[in-house]
Amino acid sequence: MSIKVKTIVRQGKSLQERLYLIEVFKGMAVTFRHFLRNFLDNSKLYVRHYPEVKPEITPRWRGRHRLTTHEDGSMKCVACFMCQTNCPAKCIQIEAGERTDGRTEKVPVKFDIDLLECIYCGYCVEACPKDAIRMDTGIFSVTGYKRESMLMTMDDLLATKGAFSEEEYKKGGA
Amino acid sequence: MAEMVKLFVNGQEVEVESGKNLIDAVSAVGIEIPHLCYHPALGADGNCRMCLVGIEDGRPPLVPACKTPAAEGMKVQLDAEHIKKIQRDVMELELINHPTDCPICDQAGECSLQDYYMKYDGQESRMTVPQVKKGKKLDFGCGVVHDQERCVVCGRCVRFTREITKTGELGIVNRTDAARVNIFPGQPLNNRYALNVVDLCPVGAMTSTDFRFKQRVWFLSKEKGICHGCSKGCNIFIDHNREKYKDEVIYRFRPRLNEEVNGYFICDEGRMTYKWENDQRLITPRANGSEAIKSAAVDSLRNAISQASKAVFLVSPSSSLEQQFAVKAFAEQAGATVLGFSDGYIKAGDGDDYLIQDDKAANRAGLALLGIDATREAFEAAMAEADLLVSFDNALGCSYDQDGLAKVLGSCTLAVIATNSDSLSEQATIAIPTASYSEYSGSIINCDNILQAFARAVVKNDPPEDIVEIVNRLGGELENNQQVWAALKKAVPTLAEVEPEQIPEQGLALTS
Repeated sequence: MSIKVKTIVRQGKSLQERLYLIEVFKGMAVTFRHFLRNFLDNSKLYVRHYPEVKPEITPRWRGRHRLTTHEDGSMKCVACFMCQTNCPAKCIQIEAGERTDGRTEKVPVKFDIDLLECIYCGYCVEACPKDAIRMDTGIFSVTGYKRESMLMTMDDLLATKGAFSEEEYKKGGA
Repeated sequence: MAEMVKLFVNGQEVEVESGKNLIDAVSAVGIEIPHLCYHPALGADGNCRMCLVGIEDGRPPLVPACKTPAAEGMKVQLDAEHIKKIQRDVMELELINHPTDCPICDQAGECSLQDYYMKYDGQESRMTVPQVKKGKKLDFGCGVVHDQERCVVCGRCVRFTREITKTGELGIVNRTDAARVNIFPGQPLNNRYALNVVDLCPVGAMTSTDFRFKQRVWFLSKEKGICHGCSKGCNIFIDHNREKYKDEVIYRFRPRLNEEVNGYFICDEGRMTYKWENDQRLITPRANGSEAIKSAAVDSLRNAISQASKAVFLVSPSSSLEQQFAVKAFAEQAGATVLGFSDGYIKAGDGDDYLIQDDKAANRAGLALLGIDATREAFEAAMAEADLLVSFDNALGCSYDQDGLAKVLGSCTLAVIATNSDSLSEQATIAIPTASYSEYSGSIINCDNILQAFARAVVKNDPPEDIVEIVNRLGGELENNQQVWAALKKAVPTLAEVEPEQIPEQGLALTS
């Protein structure tokens, strides 16, 4: 026979096991041992205490989006629509207008990302020629009570800060 | 048919028309020679040097394709190493002072410089000195914005104002890398075709204030259409897009080549008529003076027509031939008088000797062909005894002032089938929205008696019905354009031989 065959010994055939009740108590003993140990000291728990303890997010994690700014606080985005063009979920809606701060000529007047439609693929970040959109906020839990609250407007996106230093972000492969 | 000559491009034999220059001749068989300054309407200038091609065993061995007529047995080299090097070098030269601000440039996506960079250049910049700074966002007037940094100084715009409009507002000042296109101080562009320089510009140096930042061009669907702004019937591209959760919006009209009608250009007024396709549209139907659903409005109009002792159907001189005929046929059936009075469409003295016509109606020749009376006398005589006036998209409000209109209407019931909401549709008892010319297919006859057909370009989320369909629902016998044409061919001898599907792209000159 070419295939390796391993014969498994069938459990539960002995009298003690067939009595069943003894095995129940043995099982309950294990359960109560764990319960008591965790009840008296829950720092030894094998799971993360989410949401009190947040997981550590690496800079490469694609979290919620944000729009970056220059050092003087002006928006880096020039409304080139590359992210909107590249978005496979079509969740980005931009409207462009005249820029008046003297940097370039064009700036978005509306920049909406519908997080209910976003698939967090990160193509918008890759497409951006100006490093104006990033997903480095470290926000991985996106929840809301209303559909409308899941629509990120330009102000929301600008107000969110990055969770990592520039150095860490660049090291992450950006 | 022009005489054909055989020549070789990259060793491959092709047959092209003689008498044309190399760019036009070989582009007809699908071979592209890159060029920036040459435009068929403006002739060869030979300043950009992008179209330099090699002629094997030729004297000289290197020629600008735009200035070289195609000749028998010519051996044109396009993919030789020295030609590729020339193209790369010309591109590098053009890009030395180019700001490469494609992300904010409206031309991106339809820019020759961008396309040629991807196709013929593709190298990193070797420049280490700062770029020459020039004027940006200069207002040239007539809705044209100029960016001197993006300009490649091909001079197309300058030649356009000198050769086509003969107004000469633009010029190239200074030399070498300080050369720039500019207007004369205090004398901005001032002609009615100025926005054509935006289309002519191979790069994003000329942009239109109207279209500026509205859309990226790759989002736009580009359908063929015919401008209904005047009786010339210029061929256009209708560039439209449906944004997410929104309705179809037309963003611009661009000229489309038709040697028989408009050539390469259109006028600025016509270009801006796209706004009427988007704005102030009649949306809500009305019956008995209050808002109603469409079927109720149609029913109420059908009743009104059957109860009227004397009804007048007023067709629009801008409606398609099919619509005019459908209304006429329905009028005969319903015992109504069909008229086409529309003096308000004519702006005497507004036309010129190029494209713009006095008559702002697209299909007045159709009215004449169908024998629909368009005189004021006939209309006012008919109105004197009528008790129902049905306007089929006729902007009667521009033929009369407010008092004159009230006087001519008298106690007559007014029903309006209209594309746009205006003072006439607001005072109508019954109002039914209908499709505008970008939303139906049909044919029109222009001022030079050329019959042109156009297809439906835009489909709205809730498409309003075409006049032919509405007339059918009112009780007319003709259901669609095919049936209209079958009847039209019998009724009108001039059109007896015309096959609506086979009207050529350039239009069909009617002889009658």
